[in-house]
Amino acid sequence: MPPNDPTPDEGALPGLREQIAQNQQTIDRLNRDLAKKSNEVRIIQQISSEITSTLDLDEVLVIVLRALERVLGFQYSMVLLKDLAEAKLRVFASRGYEPSGVGAELGFGQGILGVVAERKRMMRIGNIGASIAYLASIRARMEAAGDITPGGAAAPLPGLAKAQSQLALPLLVKDRLVGVLSVESPKANAFDELDEIVLTIVANQAATAIDNARTYQMVEKLSRLKRFFSPQLAELIVTGGADDPLKTHRRDVTVVFLDLRGFTAFAETAEPEEVMSVLREYHAEMGRLILEHEGTLERFTGDGMMIFFNDPTPVADPAKRAVRMALAMRERVTPLCERWRKRGHELDLGIGIAEGYATIGAIGFEGRWDYGAIGTVTNLAARLCGEAKPSQILISRRVASDAEDLVETEPVGPLVLKGLAKPVPAFNVVGLKR
Amino acid sequence: MGILPDEIKPAMQGIFPSHVVTCSGDGIPNASSISQVYYVDADHVALSHQFFNKTTRNVRENPRALVWVINPETFETWDLEVEYDRSETEGPIFEVMDMQIEAIASMVGLKGIFKLRAADIYRVISATKNAAERPHP
Amino acid sequence: MHVGTRDAKLHPAHAFAAGAIVSEDRQTVTFLVAESVSGRILRDLRDNGRVAFTVGLVSHEAYQLKGTYASSRPADEQELALQEAYLAKLAAAARQVFPEEFATALIRAIPYRPSVAITFRVEEVFLQTPGPGAGSKLA
Repeated sequence: MPPNDPTPDEGALPGLREQIAQNQQTIDRLNRDLAKKSNEVRIIQQISSEITSTLDLDEVLVIVLRALERVLGFQYSMVLLKDLAEAKLRVFASRGYEPSGVGAELGFGQGILGVVAERKRMMRIGNIGASIAYLASIRARMEAAGDITPGGAAAPLPGLAKAQSQLALPLLVKDRLVGVLSVESPKANAFDELDEIVLTIVANQAATAIDNARTYQMVEKLSRLKRFFSPQLAELIVTGGADDPLKTHRRDVTVVFLDLRGFTAFAETAEPEEVMSVLREYHAEMGRLILEHEGTLERFTGDGMMIFFNDPTPVADPAKRAVRMALAMRERVTPLCERWRKRGHELDLGIGIAEGYATIGAIGFEGRWDYGAIGTVTNLAARLCGEAKPSQILISRRVASDAEDLVETEPVGPLVLKGLAKPVPAFNVVGLKR
Repeated sequence: MGILPDEIKPAMQGIFPSHVVTCSGDGIPNASSISQVYYVDADHVALSHQFFNKTTRNVRENPRALVWVINPETFETWDLEVEYDRSETEGPIFEVMDMQIEAIASMVGLKGIFKLRAADIYRVISATKNAAERPHP
Repeated sequence: MHVGTRDAKLHPAHAFAAGAIVSEDRQTVTFLVAESVSGRILRDLRDNGRVAFTVGLVSHEAYQLKGTYASSRPADEQELALQEAYLAKLAAAARQVFPEEFATALIRAIPYRPSVAITFRVEEVFLQTPGPGAGSKLA
């Protein structure tokens, strides 16, 4: 078969062209020396163009494993990807296994797959049973001799229970480990050097395609999360450093509601450009303070904002943080209000703060998800805000107790608030304690 | 020179244990079984060196050894006359052997306990397939 | 079972033995080697008499005997029967680990007839089971 350029997609990454050129040399050699495998080689070129034309991670994995089975004859195969934050692998896709094993995890250095990941080198082994038997008998004798403590046998690893042969390759992009590709067989000595060559070519293509798909996934998620969280937190969530906050959960949070008194009247009478200009200034200042104090902005509706502390990542002293932020906001808004007053607008800040358990998670529907918190605590904070006089910060008894060392307060209750059965004790924040 | 033919490669996969006979400087032979003889190239094989034993001591006194392997597909046996060349504690041969031992050791709870100390490299002098006389049915 | 010898130049040799008999007084062992593979080791034994003999099980339990060559002769019918019995045991052990056809084919491939019966005086016994104590002298 004469060498011919497999014509990569026009949108293919530059690295891929080099890869295909290198692979072409290997492919030519295969064609010369090993005529019976030329069909498989043609198929590999086909696979590579298929997987590089999609950014859907699941699709890439299915294409690769299906080709490994249907075309190259590997009955049992799996792809594990490196966890984004930690030194461990997770099964993302498999073929031939019952159950699939998807989701199973193992650490670097554990078993054949773990060692391949750690060393970033391929391993081919054809005598797993004999090797294990040999070392297991040594272990038994060491236990009997008292050289090591009994037990301590390793946890079962993903894969065939009675695999005799395995060929596992690292999926590398430049020198970075993306994951591991593995094929297994219940027969001894099932794989040879030709299998190594063929799978190396597939692995190179797959690594790039998988990496691109995964990066795309991350970028999507990151931009979604950045709407709610600070960039640092968004990145932390995407790289797996924090639990997925969009899963519904309950947390003890401190909730802050704020709005501008007189905004509705102002919006009705003032020029639209004026309204937007005030809003922009207000949001910019408030937003900066929220980020500074590491609060989570749950929503803002015009002049109203809801912020909470202690979620998605726990913080120390959430109540104190909230109160500090509220005071800083009041201080920042005061000169703004002066300026607006001079222009003929009566606007002033009101803030309500409460503490308690809320149910938190993704609220909404496909295409429009929001990060929401629901519970008595949010009602209470909202009502306190509603009751607050211009420039007043009203806090619940629990917040007052938690922030005792920080601020001077005066009681203003108990207040009868809509939606709350009993009158609620409330406190006005006068200022920081000297 | 290319002494080892391709057909011997299946015998070097560690499916059946192999055997090595060595001889001390003062003429005492020693026979030992080994789990795997590793194919390095057509002129070299490697034995894993885990602990210092009679075999490793002998070849350092008298480098000649006889390695016996059996092909798990055809059951043919081979006698390889070899000569101890050197010991490696790093490099591609060591790494391949080390990775395999580390992987299997971690699967039986011997991680870090059972380790490859060195890869002993032997030069192949001759390779003879043993005539197998099929016995009566 | 495996036999190790060496020649005048200290070059080692090997032969596979398909059976062995321990003498009543436990001072000598006679092992059985197919005639087709016995040439070299017999030469070595007649040259210097040194022999190493190992016996191992599938469980990896193994022993090495060392000693001096005493005599050799063709194996008799009883000894051939012994070899067949040993090979049958080997097949049974192989079946525990390998598939049936595999174990049967393995045993059928081992040559044993005609055989040479080689006797040596046991001088040392070593434990050869891999693990703690490997290489230690037992007798």
